[in-house]
Amino acid sequence: MATIAKAGPNTRLWNAEADEHDTISTRTFGFWLYMLSDALIFTGIFASYAVLSTPMNLAGGPGPAQVTNAVEGFWQTLIILGSVFAYSQATVALKNGSKAGVAAGILVAMVLGVAFVSMGWHDLAALTAQGNGYSRSAYLSIFFTLIATHGLHMGIGILWMLIMLVQIVRFGFTADVVARLLNLRMFWQFQATIWVIVYVYVYLLGGTA
Amino acid sequence: MSAHHSDPLQNPEVQQGSTLRFATAFLASVLFMGAALLVSQHKLPFLEFAEILVGLTFLTLAAQATLFFGLDISRAQIWKSVSLILTVPLFIISVGLTVWAFSSLYSRTMLPANEVPSMSMPMDSNATMSMPAQQTLLQ
Amino acid sequence: MQVDLQDPWSPLFGRLTLDSIPYDNPIIVGTFLGAATIGLIVVAAVLYYKKLPYLWREWLTTVDHKKIGVMYIILGLVMLFRGFVDGLMMRTQQVMAVGPDSPGVLGAQHGFLPPFHFDQVYSAHGTIMLIFAATPIMAGLGNIIVPLQIGARDMAYPYLNAVSLWLTTAGAALIMLSLFVGEFSNAAWVGLMPLAELPYNPGVGVDYWMWAIQLSSLGTTFNAINIIATIVKMRAPGMTWFRMPVFTWVNLSTSIIGLTAFPVLGVALSLLTADRYLGTDFFTVGHGGNFMLYIDLFWIWGHPEVYFLILPPFGIFSEIVPTFSEKPLFGYLTMVAASFAIAGIGWSVWAHHFFTMGMGPDLNGYFSSATMLVGIPTGVKIFNWLFTMYRGRITFTTPMLWAVMGIFLLLFGGFTGMMLSAPAINYTVHDSVFVIAHFHCMVLVVAVGAFAAVAYWWPKVFGFKLDERNGQFFFWTFTLASIVVFVPMFGLGLEGETRRLDYVFNPQWRPLLIAEEVGIVLYCISVFYFLKMIYVSLRDRVPAGDDAWGTGRTLEWMTHTPVPFYNFAVTPQINALDELAWRRENGLDKVKPQTFVPIHMPSNTAVPVIIGAMAMALGFGMIWRIWWMAGAALLAIVVAVIARSFDKNQGYILTAEEIAKFESKTELASMIAEQPKRTPLDHVEAH
Repeated sequence: MATIAKAGPNTRLWNAEADEHDTISTRTFGFWLYMLSDALIFTGIFASYAVLSTPMNLAGGPGPAQVTNAVEGFWQTLIILGSVFAYSQATVALKNGSKAGVAAGILVAMVLGVAFVSMGWHDLAALTAQGNGYSRSAYLSIFFTLIATHGLHMGIGILWMLIMLVQIVRFGFTADVVARLLNLRMFWQFQATIWVIVYVYVYLLGGTA
Repeated sequence: MSAHHSDPLQNPEVQQGSTLRFATAFLASVLFMGAALLVSQHKLPFLEFAEILVGLTFLTLAAQATLFFGLDISRAQIWKSVSLILTVPLFIISVGLTVWAFSSLYSRTMLPANEVPSMSMPMDSNATMSMPAQQTLLQ
Repeated sequence: MQVDLQDPWSPLFGRLTLDSIPYDNPIIVGTFLGAATIGLIVVAAVLYYKKLPYLWREWLTTVDHKKIGVMYIILGLVMLFRGFVDGLMMRTQQVMAVGPDSPGVLGAQHGFLPPFHFDQVYSAHGTIMLIFAATPIMAGLGNIIVPLQIGARDMAYPYLNAVSLWLTTAGAALIMLSLFVGEFSNAAWVGLMPLAELPYNPGVGVDYWMWAIQLSSLGTTFNAINIIATIVKMRAPGMTWFRMPVFTWVNLSTSIIGLTAFPVLGVALSLLTADRYLGTDFFTVGHGGNFMLYIDLFWIWGHPEVYFLILPPFGIFSEIVPTFSEKPLFGYLTMVAASFAIAGIGWSVWAHHFFTMGMGPDLNGYFSSATMLVGIPTGVKIFNWLFTMYRGRITFTTPMLWAVMGIFLLLFGGFTGMMLSAPAINYTVHDSVFVIAHFHCMVLVVAVGAFAAVAYWWPKVFGFKLDERNGQFFFWTFTLASIVVFVPMFGLGLEGETRRLDYVFNPQWRPLLIAEEVGIVLYCISVFYFLKMIYVSLRDRVPAGDDAWGTGRTLEWMTHTPVPFYNFAVTPQINALDELAWRRENGLDKVKPQTFVPIHMPSNTAVPVIIGAMAMALGFGMIWRIWWMAGAALLAIVVAVIARSFDKNQGYILTAEEIAKFESKTELASMIAEQPKRTPLDHVEAH
């Protein structure tokens, strides 16, 4: 609050050293804020899923129990967690400035990420082939949207990793590159967090109840 | 804004990463999700099942927040933690109130869910409506 | 995959044909000729005075938060004028089309607008006023003032700031384009479901509405991230949380809303987009769709959005009232707490927009009580302003007049809002013009706040004050107009006039409708005085001092007027809340820094404006289903973002000698001056 202090001989009016800001932490904080808004996108989709997954929304089509498989979903969970762990390990290698370590971690994370996305893609393609595509019912529309939105995020993350591989080789660990690697770590971990909620909510709670 | 010449690798967020922490986060997530999968294979009353799932999800998310994301109250991470804590209620409010509003709406305006005739059936499906549905209509 | 349309479609032009241009409508042709003439005059003037390179270098490619803020406000004012003309047309239509005997001209049975055109006009009015007028003006003010108030050199992410501006501009440009190419949505600014679905709205109008909002809301989200990060990370040394001015505080709370609410709007619109383009069944009738879900998602965003708009004016009043009362703000802490209480409560009241959905007494009871709670923090704020003025040395300059007017309007809108929060009343007046009058009182607080802020901070940005005499004419005509339009509207609402009527069936309402028309004419006069105020001020240019009003209390009045592009020659050390007032009390307010250190500045970049142009092309391609155009634009955006991440430009260094030169002759460093050309740094230290 307004402390009415008197100015004394030691009162400082200007601070020329103040311009030193930690650019990396400013960037990671901004990206974290973006992720919170991204989480609200998923919140909107989850709320829609809750409204559109009652028996009334099936229009005679398959419901949560028919389109999801809890065991298969668990394999996907394992793969995405493995991918996140691999990328996180890449940033442990970053501590020592090891380009090879970072690149290896990113490569493993990419391979697992591609495996995850193709499993999801395969599921949706199989449903469509059965005549249960996204335009079959409101429930299938929101189910496809949820899986595809998560998949799109994964795809963007994989593209980002590819770019980071190039930048590590080309620029080395500059402040910009390090900030991007840290942001990507949050982004990738965030995908696993979202997937855990998808798995519990759609595959387990909806799929078996 | 300003040109800074400190070593980016010395940034606290880089230094924070550790194999032990990430491995623990990974194992905890796998363990809790595996437990959730096992629980789902048993025929439990829905409410009980849902409670267990919510508990396991909460544990997983807490493990990921603290170990993967490394959220804590250190100088480097405090504002991330604060902004998350401010945002979590919004997730709950928007999903929770929506679910409440629509379940109340459905229960007041729709036939009981398990007795709704399929929309894909011909319009005269009312004739074949099951007995409980007719009883509901009569009430 | 995609939905089949009945219309002709060609791969090159999509749905776009010559018939899409409404050259047979005299109103639109007239508007087009007017807009084209003004546009040509502007372009010709720019070319004649050879200002194109200046515009490109100093404005279009800038990353300076003040210039971006000014451009936001110009955009907002242009759109405000467009939205005002829509309002003028609606009022005129309603006063003409009363009763079965009312005449019709220009192809309309009654009045001069056929129903389809009238529906577009009110849809455009709402969309433009809220999303393309109020939001950019408030974003612009935050952009200009917040970094100055916390002693920062710029926003946390200057480049992202420019991206936000150009995305918003792209959305606004799409709305303007809809006037001359195709049509606009006729499904209201909220998007009434299932009316906005493809089977009921096969034209491009809804698509224009969807994509314009989608692009600009992306820009608003980015801007919110930027403001939050700036406030959290960029404060000057000594600027502790509770030394921040209230305007900065409200920008923090409003940006939290912007960050969290706009994504939900994105979801609602994306699901509608999927319905219209891909044939999903979210909001359809049948196939298990539920169109009330759209209304729910829309208002999850929509209500926080209202507080997103109203909070910045609260901050503006909190700056203006102490300055012109020559007293510290009464109850600083409660003011801050109330801002966050409003933001928090605002997030959990949205279903009061559809009490009549039928969700039951429990839910209606909850949302009703939650809504009433908003009255508490708002009341706190009103009393704080009143107590600040109490026994103060008040000068009624234009900004102060606007602030007082804002408090009155807030009371009007607030009390009628309390009435509407009771479901029993709400059921009676649901969708009547009573609701319209209520929320216009509230959004007029935003407009009034904007005019107050422009008058208050204008000298800081441009170096001279706005003309006081014409400013007061503008104020009084505007105030009178607001009363004459909206007081009768409350009455008509209670008598049962529903909203969105292109034909008024009850002749007994004619007197009040005529009163509203008189009010809108008064608004026209106030627009004239606004333009005259700007003209006279630009002509006379009476220079203003650093502390333009002589009683400023916060940091922005400490730097030079007009503000140099680097803001503060040396970052100030903050010693108190209301730093400038504190320095004045201690006789230190005239002390200027003597020694300077080099400043690192970001370089200008063309990438944001390119992204904006491409986003507009993406929207246009999607609206007219010109797939190659949408695809190419999206690809261009992705490539631009990636290419930018490979750019090694690290900005440039402003040397101490240069700063000393600028400080002795600040007009050289002012915003509208042309700055010296600088070569960028190109050092990247690898490890």
